[in-house]
Amino acid sequence: MGINCAYEDLEIDKQIIGEEIFIKKELPKDFAEASLDYNPLHLDPSWMDKTNFGKTKFKGVIVHGMFTFSIITKMITDWLLPIGGIHRRLETRWLKPIYPGDTITPQAVIFAKKKTIKGNWVLLKVRVTRQDGEVVAEGESMEEFPNNQ
Amino acid sequence: MNVSTDKKDFWEDYNKRKTWDEIIPGELRPTKEVVLTKEMIQNFARIVGETNPLYFDEEYAKKSPYKGIIAPPNIHVLLMFACTDINDWMREPGTINAGQSWFYNIPARPGDKIKLVCKCLDKWIKKERLFAIHENVFYNQDNEVICSGRGWTIRPR
Repeated sequence: MGINCAYEDLEIDKQIIGEEIFIKKELPKDFAEASLDYNPLHLDPSWMDKTNFGKTKFKGVIVHGMFTFSIITKMITDWLLPIGGIHRRLETRWLKPIYPGDTITPQAVIFAKKKTIKGNWVLLKVRVTRQDGEVVAEGESMEEFPNNQ
Repeated sequence: MNVSTDKKDFWEDYNKRKTWDEIIPGELRPTKEVVLTKEMIQNFARIVGETNPLYFDEEYAKKSPYKGIIAPPNIHVLLMFACTDINDWMREPGTINAGQSWFYNIPARPGDKIKLVCKCLDKWIKKERLFAIHENVFYNQDNEVICSGRGWTIRPR
């Protein structure tokens, strides 16, 4: 089996920066329609105002965590698919809520590479930052570069 | 399943949903088979800002290594709600998503008959919060695994 040139060319600390996204007011409703997740957390401001979430505090409806997951996915696949990689895994933790009116940017950096018997793997640290620099989500992804046949 | 007519009111059947006390780790959640359509794929992809022609352009996708239109990997976000009923406990109003991890095996495609096998794996209390992990595996009509994943949620009751 031949080597995968795209994999060999990738260097540790390579950064991938996704598109900056302004969260429009209608985004939670649009994402609810597309994902079928109609949780009032994302849609009902009056319910959010009167509901006690204990130690977790919200100042209005919040953006779906899986929207953030989705923009990380887009950043990765926009970079990965054109160079022949396969997106294999994404793990994220949500650290802060995101609200309509926020601007968020996904980023990733390669922190490890690993060859296995049948493949070539790249590990990335991922994170999403808000306009004030606060990290609102973080995690890791794993990408495969198959050996050339 | 029709995306536009699926039930939108998560308060419906509120009292039929399992609370944290009633969720049994290991017990399967009821699911239903769903045929994934090109419309569902493209509507979802558009909302999350996808422009990759693999999801939209039949001619481009046919010439690619994927040999046809595929769904973006995160299509499981839609499929989890599409494959479960209104009384599924993941629809509980106030369910907070703390984190998720997903592994992708093969892409989902238009026309795939999607099956979901899912359950709670574990539940616990930490700092007065009620936690539950849900585990989900999506299969196509040939019983091939499309993707599998886990989510950490904080339960409202």
